[in-house]
Amino acid sequence: MSEDPNIPESEEFREDELSSEMNVAKVHGSIMREQADPRDGYEPISLWLITFSFALVFWAGMYLVGNSGGFSSEVFNANLVAWDGSGAAVDKGPPDPMVVGKRVYTQYCLVCHQSTGLGVAGQFPPLVDSEWVLAREWHGDNHVVKVVLNGLQGPITVKGNLYNNAMAPWGGVLKDEQVASVLTYIRNEWGNAAPPITAEFVALIREQNADRKEAWTQKELQAIPRAVIDASAPPAADEAPAADPAAPSQPPAATAAPGA
Amino acid sequence: MNRLPLLFLGIFLTFASAWAGLVAYPYLKLGQLLPITNEETGELAPPPLSGIADAGQDVYAANGCLYCHSQQVRPAYLSTDIAKGLGPRRTVARDYIRSRPAFLGTMRTGPDLTNVGLRYSAEWQHRHLYEPGEVSKGSIMPAFRYLYIMQKIEGAPNADALKDLTGPHAPKPGYEVVPTEDAKALVAYLLSLKRNYPLPESPEEALE
Amino acid sequence: MTTLAESLNPSSSEQTLEKIERSAIDASARLPVLLFFGTAIFWLLIGSLLALVASFKMSIPGFLDNEAWLTFGRVRPAHMNTVIYGWASAAGIGVGLWLMARLCRVAMMHTSLLIVAAIFWNLGVLVGTLGILAGDSRSIEWLEFPGYSTPILFIAYAFIGIWGIIMFRFRRPGHVYVSQWYLLAAFLWFPWLYGTVNILLIWQPILGSAQGAVNWWYAHNVLGLWFTPIGLASAYYMIPKVIGRPIHSYYLSILGFWSLALFYSWNGMHHLIGGPFPAWMISASVVASIMMFIPVITVAINHHMTMKGHFGGLKWSPTLRFTVFGAMSYTVVSFQGSLMAIPTLNQITHFTHYTIGHSHLGLYAFFTMMMFGAMYYITPRLVGWEWPSANLIRWHFWLAAIGILVMVGALTLGGIIQGLALYDPAVNFMNSMHFASPFLWVRSISGLLLTAAHVIFAVHFVMMLLQMGSKRGEPTLFARPVLEEETLSV
Repeated sequence: MSEDPNIPESEEFREDELSSEMNVAKVHGSIMREQADPRDGYEPISLWLITFSFALVFWAGMYLVGNSGGFSSEVFNANLVAWDGSGAAVDKGPPDPMVVGKRVYTQYCLVCHQSTGLGVAGQFPPLVDSEWVLAREWHGDNHVVKVVLNGLQGPITVKGNLYNNAMAPWGGVLKDEQVASVLTYIRNEWGNAAPPITAEFVALIREQNADRKEAWTQKELQAIPRAVIDASAPPAADEAPAADPAAPSQPPAATAAPGA
Repeated sequence: MNRLPLLFLGIFLTFASAWAGLVAYPYLKLGQLLPITNEETGELAPPPLSGIADAGQDVYAANGCLYCHSQQVRPAYLSTDIAKGLGPRRTVARDYIRSRPAFLGTMRTGPDLTNVGLRYSAEWQHRHLYEPGEVSKGSIMPAFRYLYIMQKIEGAPNADALKDLTGPHAPKPGYEVVPTEDAKALVAYLLSLKRNYPLPESPEEALE
Repeated sequence: MTTLAESLNPSSSEQTLEKIERSAIDASARLPVLLFFGTAIFWLLIGSLLALVASFKMSIPGFLDNEAWLTFGRVRPAHMNTVIYGWASAAGIGVGLWLMARLCRVAMMHTSLLIVAAIFWNLGVLVGTLGILAGDSRSIEWLEFPGYSTPILFIAYAFIGIWGIIMFRFRRPGHVYVSQWYLLAAFLWFPWLYGTVNILLIWQPILGSAQGAVNWWYAHNVLGLWFTPIGLASAYYMIPKVIGRPIHSYYLSILGFWSLALFYSWNGMHHLIGGPFPAWMISASVVASIMMFIPVITVAINHHMTMKGHFGGLKWSPTLRFTVFGAMSYTVVSFQGSLMAIPTLNQITHFTHYTIGHSHLGLYAFFTMMMFGAMYYITPRLVGWEWPSANLIRWHFWLAAIGILVMVGALTLGGIIQGLALYDPAVNFMNSMHFASPFLWVRSISGLLLTAAHVIFAVHFVMMLLQMGSKRGEPTLFARPVLEEETLSV
């Protein structure tokens, strides 16, 4: 035993352990009763496991080839490049503005105007039955487009109640189709009914106000001369002097009439 | 399996294979990407960060924003990120070359921030960081009031002071809440998070 | 020889030699391993406390929200790093070194250097944790310790790893057991992982999303190439050792080891499915994650067939109970992980609490319980004393087992609900948070159970070190062991 360098001489054991007979029995007690060290059995691997492993390897190969975009570092969407190298393009037709609009509303507008469209008393104005949302003549419609594109600040009266908050501009975030969809949505949800707004109309308003940097105020919006095109529309929030219908750069009645 | 050289070789080679694919490959192919110039506007994509926005990345890292907020827009065929409006297109490697580090994140306890710079103003961000529960009712985001200083108004109010604060930590009359440099840097960074510039490797996908 | 041999049966049989040898090995390992165990338990307590703070903050956002060093974004990574490096790695090192010494049948030499390494390791963890709370973390997940502390850990590990490898190099010639392969691999893989990631993410950071790839290659491999091999090495040792049976199949061991080595390291990108990476990288990780069924099923069969007919041991052996709990959890968490990597399912579970449930199933239900089992076996052999109280072990086990099952259950259910809400574009984001909130409360309460279990374990460990309680000649077991043809063993 002592020739084996791995087994230290007994002097290396702690004195206090050797000095007590009881302790010697215990130091070795746990070791004395131990089983032999673990050893290996040699059962063969079951055929099921081998079959399963091969099946998995086969699947792995197929999946890799089909979903790796040709192993290029510039292809991020695996579905764009099929296993034979051809791309995938699916045409789903024009999207429904109520569906798209609801999605946009949920993501951006619902936080303030709520899922009921009723807003929060004293903080955010309601959209339900709101004269601002439902107004149909030229300036009414483009008021609401302007507000979405550039934002709104300062006091505003909606359905007789005063609100004074800040609405963020969304022109830099939402595309014309999205603005048109969400406005169409709020004009036709919760019992509201008004003609839809088109993306072209939004583009027109955006172009006309391209230099505008600040949010609109109620005063400014109402000061814009307006042209009445539909006498049966609910009145606008504040009557402003009817001015020359030729004021806008486009003829108001026919081509600029949104939707319908 | 009783010999050290054989074991070592196997241990090394199996490790090296994944190292080659998941470490060396991204290092060579993705780690050397440069910004591209937009042909129409002449701007760089991704655009460079201003000095203060770049400093904001350090504040973002130090305070662990990443543990609740992700910064990645997944593609439409693998998720509903684009349908939810997180961004006009999925994010790709080039979008993160100015990030130190790339704050991709793995949790959405809070909303994704890839394009948060498009959604909120600086004023909103300051008020939200100061007291998230007042701006976003029901939010579980912790308050970062320690990035702000409540001080007595000396003469004229400070130009940077936060306005319209409500709630239990709103300043008493005669007091104002002013952002520290860290807060300003963080907000500048958040405002810089706009990945809506076009990139050739990430075409915009249909809304549906 | 001297009185030692004479105090035993003086026959020079193989068995007696073996036992004397083990005694010598244990004596050489005593100080370093106990130091690793003791400090590991300390960090387990700290990590549990930090976890409670972080968890309650998610339910009560105003909780402790006045100070920068206590903000959630710092407490959460502090929790993770203390349990990963302070508790789990240190416990794993202690267990790994002892297993390697026993299986190689060599005593540890110059252990004072190992003790210095242990002190440095703990210093690194301490400095790193304070650094995170002070605001120096770079928010690189699993690697938040600031750059001034990671070299301390790396150097400390250098000694530890070298020890493990040298022990293997100078092992007794003969059959090499499966646990030794796993331990050798773990001791080699960890420094390669830690070194690479320190260079590419901390010292000379690479640009852009490539960081994400390297980050999650590292984080996943700490699980798969450091913790898993140590855990499996312990299971492969403790199970046959306690019940006195051979491992079912050497061939399964080989298949399990090499398939793990080959596939596990490619899994990293499954944390980033849908992320800004070339499609093939994500697909490679999805494939590797599914291929993990092979090593996991292999190891499960091997362990199960070894245990077959001996499950009665779970009634009386603390070591076996913790170890088998861990081994079964390994199978479950790995199956869950493979399924989570399927992109269709990942759409729902990504970014949710489901992932956190999964990670705790792995690091706690598998690795931590496995380490508890090993520590219950090893400590008596180092201290020369038996565990003072079977009741304390009982409390430890049940609080921990129930705690972790409740935690994982709550996070899994909450995560699925959160994920379904996040997936639906018509559901506002705030709702995804609110649906999950009751589950977060349950998680916090289960955390209290786990913390209680850890306090009990810590107290019991200190009682062991102080050799409190009465002297025993028998092992501390839950019940009378039912004797089969072998003598009892703990």
